[in-house]
Amino acid sequence: MLSFSLLALADDHAATAASLAIPAAIDAPDLRWAGLIIGLPALSALLCLLCGALKLRSKLPALITIIALLGSFVLTCMLFSQVGEGTPRVVGLFEWMSFSWGTGDRFQSFAAPFALYIDALTLFWMLFVTGLGSLIAIYASEYMESDVGKGYTRFFGGVSIFLAAMATLVMASNLVVLYLGWEGVGLASYLLIGYYYAKPSAVAAAKKAFIMNRIGDLGLALGIGLIWVNYDTVDYATLFRVLEAGPLATQGDWMPSAIPFLLMLGAFGKSAQLPLFTWLPDAMEGPTPVSALIHAATMVTAGVYLIARTYPLFELHPDALATVAWVGGLTAFVAATIGMAQYDMKRVWAYSTISQLGYMFLGLGVGSTFGAGYHVFTHAFFKALLFLTAGAVMHGFAGQIDIRKLSGLRRVPGFKLVSWLALLGCLWLSALPFSAAFFSKDTILTTALGSERSDFQFLGWLGLFTAFLTAYYTFRVWFRAFAGPVQFEAGDDHHDDDHAHDSHATASHAHAKSEFHPHGPRLGIRIPLIVIALGVVAAGWPGYDALFFHGENWVQSMMMHSSAMQGAGEVHGREIFGLSAHRMTSIVGTSACLLGIAIAYWTHLRDRSAADRARAALRGFFLTRWIPATLENRWYVDEIYHALFRLPLWVASHILHFFDKTFVDGFLVDGTGRVPVAVARLFQPLYNGVLQGYAATMAGGFVLIAGWVFWIWLRGNG
Amino acid sequence: MEGTLAYFLIVLPIAFAAIVGFSPAPMAKWIGTIGAFATLAVALLFAWTFPHWTDGLYAPDIDAANWFPAMGVSIALGADSVALLLILMTAFLMPLILIGSFTSITERPKDFFFWFMLLEASMLGAFLARDAVIFFVSYEFTMIPMFFLIANWGGAQRRQAAVKYVLYSFGGGILTLVGLLYIAMKMHAALGSWDFGIASMTAFCSTEMLASEQVWVFILLMAGFAVKIPLVPFHTWLPLVHDQAPTGGSVILAGTLLKLGTFGEFRIAMPMAPIGAVEWNGVLCVLCLIGIVAAALICWVQHDAKKLVAYSSVTHIAFCMLGMFSLNSIGVTGSVMYMISHGLSTGALFLCIGMIYERYHTKDMDELGGLYRTMPIWSFFMVFFTLASLGLPGLNGFVGEFYCLVGAFTAEDTAMTGYPGLMGPWYAIIAGLGLIAAAMYLLMLVGRLVWGPLREPGHHDAHHAHGHAHGQAHAQARDHAHDHAHGAHATTNDRATTLSRDIGAREIGILVPIAILCLVLGLYPEPMLKAIEPSVKNMLAPYPALVERYLKAGTLLESGSEAPPMASASQP
Repeated sequence: MLSFSLLALADDHAATAASLAIPAAIDAPDLRWAGLIIGLPALSALLCLLCGALKLRSKLPALITIIALLGSFVLTCMLFSQVGEGTPRVVGLFEWMSFSWGTGDRFQSFAAPFALYIDALTLFWMLFVTGLGSLIAIYASEYMESDVGKGYTRFFGGVSIFLAAMATLVMASNLVVLYLGWEGVGLASYLLIGYYYAKPSAVAAAKKAFIMNRIGDLGLALGIGLIWVNYDTVDYATLFRVLEAGPLATQGDWMPSAIPFLLMLGAFGKSAQLPLFTWLPDAMEGPTPVSALIHAATMVTAGVYLIARTYPLFELHPDALATVAWVGGLTAFVAATIGMAQYDMKRVWAYSTISQLGYMFLGLGVGSTFGAGYHVFTHAFFKALLFLTAGAVMHGFAGQIDIRKLSGLRRVPGFKLVSWLALLGCLWLSALPFSAAFFSKDTILTTALGSERSDFQFLGWLGLFTAFLTAYYTFRVWFRAFAGPVQFEAGDDHHDDDHAHDSHATASHAHAKSEFHPHGPRLGIRIPLIVIALGVVAAGWPGYDALFFHGENWVQSMMMHSSAMQGAGEVHGREIFGLSAHRMTSIVGTSACLLGIAIAYWTHLRDRSAADRARAALRGFFLTRWIPATLENRWYVDEIYHALFRLPLWVASHILHFFDKTFVDGFLVDGTGRVPVAVARLFQPLYNGVLQGYAATMAGGFVLIAGWVFWIWLRGNG
Repeated sequence: MEGTLAYFLIVLPIAFAAIVGFSPAPMAKWIGTIGAFATLAVALLFAWTFPHWTDGLYAPDIDAANWFPAMGVSIALGADSVALLLILMTAFLMPLILIGSFTSITERPKDFFFWFMLLEASMLGAFLARDAVIFFVSYEFTMIPMFFLIANWGGAQRRQAAVKYVLYSFGGGILTLVGLLYIAMKMHAALGSWDFGIASMTAFCSTEMLASEQVWVFILLMAGFAVKIPLVPFHTWLPLVHDQAPTGGSVILAGTLLKLGTFGEFRIAMPMAPIGAVEWNGVLCVLCLIGIVAAALICWVQHDAKKLVAYSSVTHIAFCMLGMFSLNSIGVTGSVMYMISHGLSTGALFLCIGMIYERYHTKDMDELGGLYRTMPIWSFFMVFFTLASLGLPGLNGFVGEFYCLVGAFTAEDTAMTGYPGLMGPWYAIIAGLGLIAAAMYLLMLVGRLVWGPLREPGHHDAHHAHGHAHGQAHAQARDHAHDHAHGAHATTNDRATTLSRDIGAREIGILVPIAILCLVLGLYPEPMLKAIEPSVKNMLAPYPALVERYLKAGTLLESGSEAPPMASASQP
């Protein structure tokens, strides 16, 4: 339809992109204050620690965090106005790790100073990270208020650590500092998922998230190692120069070709892609603001950032980007199918996050960093909105989040705004025509469909089909929970971890349930919701600007001026069934969206038993019986991992432990210890005094052995 | 000046041990602590005046220190930057350990503090020694205080643990002694005089001795160190001893005593017999990899928190030795860094576990868990040191680990670093699996001890014993542990000591300095790395040429037996 004029503009850029090289970075010591973007949240984390140590029972930690994050946001805006799309700047802060050895032609050095690399990509990411971070912190100040004096300080300490680490990750000037931030956000994620620490499921989810991320992190660490071994640097600015100057891939040499695959393993772990995606749904055990901030809007996009940042390296192997595309496309599809069969609203949004992240990787893989970056941007807003509305529902209904137990919320007093904002989020997630996500998703799918590669075209069609599934599962939630007759059941959770384990406490809550009155959100939740909703709408601006005013798409031009420039423009106008790829995507995408909404309307609002009948029909027929079972059991991925990895490791560990105890210690060590005793028995029948005798004879035995060795020696060399 | 200070570092703890011995029992802990602080002050002064932070030389100079001859063996003391860092760590940990033992040691406190002061003296002696006899005597002498500390203040199987520790260490130590004596005899034969100086022995052995001899000498020297380090498969004493030792003993064991092994490797075995080190490198690297992976998996199925940390020591130390055996300067620097980091974070973990053991008299994770509810401050430190231990960037563990990994990764025959080695990327990849395993078992540890629903031993017994009404009040007190000042409602009927429910000021006071050091070393390791580097480069000086020859010929034996290796001696 209309989006192709936006993409036509992209074609203009494609011509220029090829001739452009990543601009050389310049040192900017005058920008040292940018370090405060990391420093303020770090300081806030320390102050929260202090509040915790003083056993403070007020909302002060929230205030500190909000001020620090707003400060970071303001500083990011200032940095944006100074640097913008200009030359990348490198700002050195302090030495972290460095090493050099050898002299002359053997001189080698390894340097990972704590420095910042500020270019358009950095700023693009930092703007929405700090902006959304501040808003969600404000939201959380009200959301978490029942925990004041208990976990409140811990929560905001975690949020502060997260922002400091995320800023480090995005602003790092080299891959080792990126790794510091990378593990730091993992730590924050661990601490915050396990926030309700008395729930074993939360503890297990936190552990799972950290360990699955660690698997990816090993890939990243080895990738960094290989980059250093091959290019003698881990610094972006130098790396880009080296890559530009030298031949990119030495074919047949496994080391450089392995780099992109190792890096993408790290990215897939952090961004919850196949095969490492199962931690993200479990991460919903954390408080909802955390799900919104870390597990939807910002941290999980770190993988996309990593690939966009190291995009030139992904040309080291011809199949690297294709792998990214395939993993992304398949993840988008698989996660969407699982999302159709979940009843927990937050889990549906979690699977949709995985699915949307899949689109981003598909975009990166098929060569549209612009589409991927734009989708990161739009997704950050509408997914944060969806999670925060879900959180508002949880907050008001005592933790109830099951869409089977909630209905007609838009008619419940106090939830009108929440319901309409949720509708906005749902429409955007479904990529309604002229919504921001419509532009961003179309850019990705058009690039895939317009590609010369038939497998990318397949992924494009798969993406379009996934768009249909997305619209369906999104509106399944909305029509179930927010529309229809008013019916609800309160949850039994009072965000009160202290009482969670006491049976008498839950009993008293159960008693209170019959006279339950949902309480609507107050200003602390409403204001961030409204601001984010405005952001959701405004995120479409770059698209409208390009579409209606023939301006430049801001996101695209940001990508153009960064390391992701290679993929910022390439869109081919291949013809499909007589239509251009742009037009095809628009038409099919719009139809998919509307069809998905229509089916959801039919089965979940108009006739709510239809969905159950459909499920029963599927289960009744032996050829389709597996479909609902597989989807409801999340494709059995957790079970497969358990059987393939956890169980064998567990068995191996027990065998090793047994072997260690009985063979190494019991037989070898203690057995050796008995040899001198046995020998001594031969020569000393009057052996008594167990302990001392044992000690003496064993020592004697060692002396004998030593003497024997010594004698062999002397003979051998004498 | 430095000579006097080095001398004081040994004499001061001995003197305080003597004072403790003649003081009344209630005073013992104070005198011991003052002694430890005094030693720390001397160590800091030594470090402050130390002139060789950047060039890897020794202070005091050997001639300057030679002023105290006795029994034909000169008591030559001195330290280079690596030794000094280990001395600082020992002197730093010691007062913290002693303060930490104030309440847990109720029986015969005099003996306890006496043995601890002697232990400190002997450990510092080993780090300060510039003479093989002094080194060996100090090194072996550590066993005696340790034996008594375990046997007197340990757990139920303390005798067995103490005997096993002593016999195993002694057995290994004897072989080390044989190795040292053999070198000395050879030197005597060649030079006509006895000389036990480490520098001269190193110079002689590494340059004059035949390759086949060095191969044997290396194994003899290694025998003692491998037990002490401990390298798999010589590690089985460690979990037992850690399990049985009192908290202070465990901390010093993990913090410093194991480092005697790694330090001996660094100072004695590798410089003295470089050909042996190269010849055995392949075997040792594989042992390290087995140690990293197998011990990590064993950690994962432990039920006892202290045993888990003990096995984690085995895997961490294997990581440290992997860096050492990479034979390049980044790996060995990382290895030395790792020694310090491991001493701090694992030592602190043992302190933390000791604190709950003191309160609950169990460290079984099946009986104990969810302690965040009752001990939030303790939990903070426990999580913090766990993160340090699993190598989270920004904390101390990461730097050493990363350097060791890079060292193993680049230890290839292609010699891009100027230091060819016998490992390569695959070694780093397998070792990297240890990082994942570390996350698995350490998060399992905190997941059970810190998070989760509260489990306390003897909880229900207390209810029955004191009637239902009391039990109810008790449960309420527990529920509102956050809402009221901790300890206010805490009943002491299920704990034997009068300790506060959460850790108190004294215990916080000993954990905070370690935590700060962990953070500082993680964020700004640069000065320490720069201090370690020159000493490491001196030690590694003969290696690149040897490894290149080894890679060409496949062995150093034939060429070595015809002509002694080239004289590129390290120069301590």
